[in-house]
Amino acid sequence: MTARVLAYPAGVLGSGGAVLYVLFIGLPVVALLVRAAQQTDFIGAVTGDVALTALRLSLITSIISMAVIVLLGTPFAYLLARSGSAWTRVVDNLVELPLVLPPVVAGVAMLMAFGRNGLIGPGLEGLGIAIPFTTTAVIFAQVFVASPFFIRSAKLGFQSIPKDYEDVARTLGVSPWRTFFRITLPLAGPALVTGLGLAWARALSEFGATMMFAGNLTGETQTMPLAIMTAMESSLDNALALSVMLLTGSILVLAALGLLTRRKWQGR
Amino acid sequence: MTVPEVETGVSPASGWAHCQVGNFDLNTEWHVEPGQVLVLFGPSGAGKSSTLRTIAGLLRPLEGHIEAGGRVVYDSAGGIWVPTHQRRLGYLTQQYHLFPHLKVGGNIAFGLQDRGSETARDRVRELSQLFRLDGLEDRYPWEISGGQQQRVALARALAPRPAMLLLDEPFASLDSELRRALREELRAMLVQSPVPVMLVTHDREEALALGDSVQVIDEGRILSTGDPLDVLGQPGQGRIARLVGVENLFDLTIQERNPRDGTMTCVGPGIRLEVPLDSHITGETEPKGVQDRVTVGIRASDIILARDELSGSSARNRLEGSVVSIEPRPPGYSVILDCGQHLRCHITGASLEEMGIQTGQRLWAVFKASSCFLVDEPRSRSAS
Repeated sequence: MTARVLAYPAGVLGSGGAVLYVLFIGLPVVALLVRAAQQTDFIGAVTGDVALTALRLSLITSIISMAVIVLLGTPFAYLLARSGSAWTRVVDNLVELPLVLPPVVAGVAMLMAFGRNGLIGPGLEGLGIAIPFTTTAVIFAQVFVASPFFIRSAKLGFQSIPKDYEDVARTLGVSPWRTFFRITLPLAGPALVTGLGLAWARALSEFGATMMFAGNLTGETQTMPLAIMTAMESSLDNALALSVMLLTGSILVLAALGLLTRRKWQGR
Repeated sequence: MTVPEVETGVSPASGWAHCQVGNFDLNTEWHVEPGQVLVLFGPSGAGKSSTLRTIAGLLRPLEGHIEAGGRVVYDSAGGIWVPTHQRRLGYLTQQYHLFPHLKVGGNIAFGLQDRGSETARDRVRELSQLFRLDGLEDRYPWEISGGQQQRVALARALAPRPAMLLLDEPFASLDSELRRALREELRAMLVQSPVPVMLVTHDREEALALGDSVQVIDEGRILSTGDPLDVLGQPGQGRIARLVGVENLFDLTIQERNPRDGTMTCVGPGIRLEVPLDSHITGETEPKGVQDRVTVGIRASDIILARDELSGSSARNRLEGSVVSIEPRPPGYSVILDCGQHLRCHITGASLEEMGIQTGQRLWAVFKASSCFLVDEPRSRSAS
């Protein structure tokens, strides 16, 4: 196989590219691990207050974000996949916006909406609801930037299931709701899990929008990426510890995706 | 909303519907007795599948009235609409759509209430035996053959004891031998649980083998309904004749009527035929010759090929011509003879060998006047 690929100029170029790419991605990762291992008190930093506080906040906020995204995003993605109306096409394009929008801009935009001087911020404040610079703002920022990853993947998953499966299930006396849970959801499962994994990774790494909209308050809005940024100024130990923890998290997400999306059945 | 318990198969299924399907109108009506098969026959896009989907409640008509299982499931005037999952009609698609994440047993049991119960397991076992699927319950759909998949789909549709069966080209993706076997199984199944069946096909043989009656549909309209042999054997209207695949159609001029023999002589470029008298079309005993052009149909299987003129035979039509082409048409062959106009004849492989038929050879085509039938095709007549 390899020999045959190398017989073509593009194959040679591609192989060269592959080697460069592996080095380009691999070298910094290895460097991070090596430097972390060289630190005098790596374990201490990992189990230290700064790291654990940030880790706890990151986990709690991202889990809540994922719950929001899955609960609202799944039916939404289904609608996008099945409806052909002009409206859904407009909304469909809107879903892609957070993917291309710089997160910092998303943060500024959310401030302009929910901030003290924002569009609906004062109204909310009148009701006793303040969002900016709270843990809620962290979740807002994560949902904003991460939701497209889940919705897009889920939509493609639903689209790949012929509607006939659902039609047949209904003729067998199964209500549309039960059909969704017994047919549609299991068949789209792998796509949903993939989307969830990507969205989670994106939410955990969220920095710009959080910084703008939620600030950098330890224990309240300082998630791991923000804690790394802060630690870089005072303690490389802490920064490296947090970085290694996030790296491990990313690798675990990748591995989990690989395992969970392996289907025991094939074909349609 | 509570649904009355449906007694399987004792009630006929009937109704009519007017639907907007894509860019054409579908106007259809049907009546099927329990245990009988109504075949919907026509080209693709004619509205056959849409008719089934309408009955199943997967397509909402503009107006209509649909009865199945002894109750009204749709009535536009009365504002009745029973959703698909409460209609209890078995629906089979051409690709079967077996649920790929469920094993054979899970597929068959899918529509059963209380799937874990002993009754449900008994029902699955019973159907597995009926459709010769025992031992396959723990396989996934992609692990079994096409014929087995077809049986699983049928078993799954029958498991919840539907009030009616809607089969959309159920045998289309199988080879002809398997089709024949499954047709027989379907027939046997209908004896056991006599439900009304509507079956969509564009295969003439299948329509003849399975249909108790046939309805020809084209462009959303019913062209004719009746006994399969009447409708498909000697179809009247030209459109139907073309749809059901009458191989030979000739536009001819009436030269002479012989009311005494009940025949007439028709001629066309290079061809002269004795055909039945046209009084059944004009409705007159003494046709006035106003109508002197007819379209004549002859089925390819009604023609006898002979090496020499069968003199002294009762057949009124004997045409000589040379063989233009020989095409395999399993199980036999299709021979095209140029007798002034091209004439297609179907013969068996044995006849082809015995007669040593080759292209270019001169042969006689022989057929009775009564094998010819007049095709009522108003459009071509007014045009000519």
